[in-house]
Amino acid sequence: MAEQTLDCLGEACPVPLIKTQKAMEKMAVGDVLIVNIDHSCAMKNVPDWARSVGHNVEIEEVAEGEWNIIIEKTK
Amino acid sequence: MSDTTSTIKRTTSRVKETPEQRARKQKIQLTAGIIVAALLVLLGFYIQTQNPRGAFIWMIGLALGYTLQRSRFCFTASMRDPVLTGSTELTKAVIIALALASLGYMALQMKLTGVDLKNLGTDALKDASKLPGHVRAVGVHTVIGGFIFGIGAVIAGGCASGTLMRMGEGFIQQWIAIIFFIAGSVIGMVLLPIVQVNPILYQAKPIYLPQLLGGWVPAIIVQFGLLFVLYVLADWYGKKKSGEL
Amino acid sequence: MDEKKKYPFHEKYFKKEWSYVTGSVLLAMLALALVIVTGGSWGVTGPLGMWGGKFLQLIGINADSWKAYNGSLAKYNFWTDQTAITDLGIVLGAFLSVLLATQFKIKKIKSMKNVWAAVLGGLLMGIGARLSLGCNIGAFFTALPAFSLHGWVFWISIFSGAAVGSQLLKKYFM
Repeated sequence: MAEQTLDCLGEACPVPLIKTQKAMEKMAVGDVLIVNIDHSCAMKNVPDWARSVGHNVEIEEVAEGEWNIIIEKTK
Repeated sequence: MSDTTSTIKRTTSRVKETPEQRARKQKIQLTAGIIVAALLVLLGFYIQTQNPRGAFIWMIGLALGYTLQRSRFCFTASMRDPVLTGSTELTKAVIIALALASLGYMALQMKLTGVDLKNLGTDALKDASKLPGHVRAVGVHTVIGGFIFGIGAVIAGGCASGTLMRMGEGFIQQWIAIIFFIAGSVIGMVLLPIVQVNPILYQAKPIYLPQLLGGWVPAIIVQFGLLFVLYVLADWYGKKKSGEL
Repeated sequence: MDEKKKYPFHEKYFKKEWSYVTGSVLLAMLALALVIVTGGSWGVTGPLGMWGGKFLQLIGINADSWKAYNGSLAKYNFWTDQTAITDLGIVLGAFLSVLLATQFKIKKIKSMKNVWAAVLGGLLMGIGARLSLGCNIGAFFTALPAFSLHGWVFWISIFSGAAVGSQLLKKYFM
């Protein structure tokens, strides 16, 4: 059960989601990806996408305007 | 969403601040927010002295910014995501907004034009551009302008309303973007009169759907019908994209 | 994470994000409220050319004599410009929203790519909006619902442009 962190702090709009999608492709089922973001769009569109595909998603706010999106690959 | 216990097992936990630091920072932001709100109210009073409807316009503007930010609404994403990420959630939301706004504009316009469009063309209502809403010229310039705008919005990471919203959110990139948005507007304003004299690129008459399609009934059917079809398409496309992945 | 339990009121009313559709409904209603009261529809980019012209005048270039401005700069007043007021309102309304949600953070430039993206994107949007007589709001959000054909044409055009922009974004600005 590998764990990977993806630093997307300071990235503009679609970049966190694109990078997340690419990273998830390379991961195995059961792996966990933690995405660090500070973009309000991304704290919604990344979890939305991950859930629509069927993964387990959690969001935690780690600081003012900063979130960790934790995705567990389920399929 | 979890509270203190996460259901996903993980080992790394990047803790940036202690709970005490976080609580302190949050209290600061909340206090600042209340002060800012008070200042905005005061500013509203001032604006009212400069503009007979200033306070109202100010409230609407603030509400628009608040709504855009709070709902993470993004017109740029509605156009870009279907292609780039396969998501159509915002596309659908924009279509819903268009449909609701269409309902309102339909009522406002119909009241003035008459259900049979009889009032359009009379002295009271010379042409459709005098109606509520932006009924404006359409031509090659629209296509070129729109195309350029679309490229720019995606590259910059936000369209016009998105840039303003992100300025308020603290994105330095958008503070840079607005400067060049203004510069581009100056260039655009210089180009516009040149474009306007070219009959191939520009034709000044607006095209109003009720007039084009022969009445309000066909216009309503086409407008709402198209929006509905596009919504279903967007929904299907989004589900297909996420299902395949 | 604890904050959600500790301050449920704040969480629910000031922090929790709204759904996209909530945004749709509110934006449509606000836009309609504006046009009902003032007669003028929501727009964003109209004033930008004026502000640019004013700046040019400030640095000694008499833009008002140009055909583009034709003396309109001398008469321009920020506070009587409905669109200027709503533009400022959007910036500050968004600012208020993040402050009250305690989510405000200054996002600094990460790399030069972001700067070039802002420069090029801003210029293209500025030129494009003038040529189409409006932006995603003035030539789209308050044009298409107003049964103006140019709203539909603009929508198709920006959609196409966005597709191209997406490819450019992936290749050069990511």
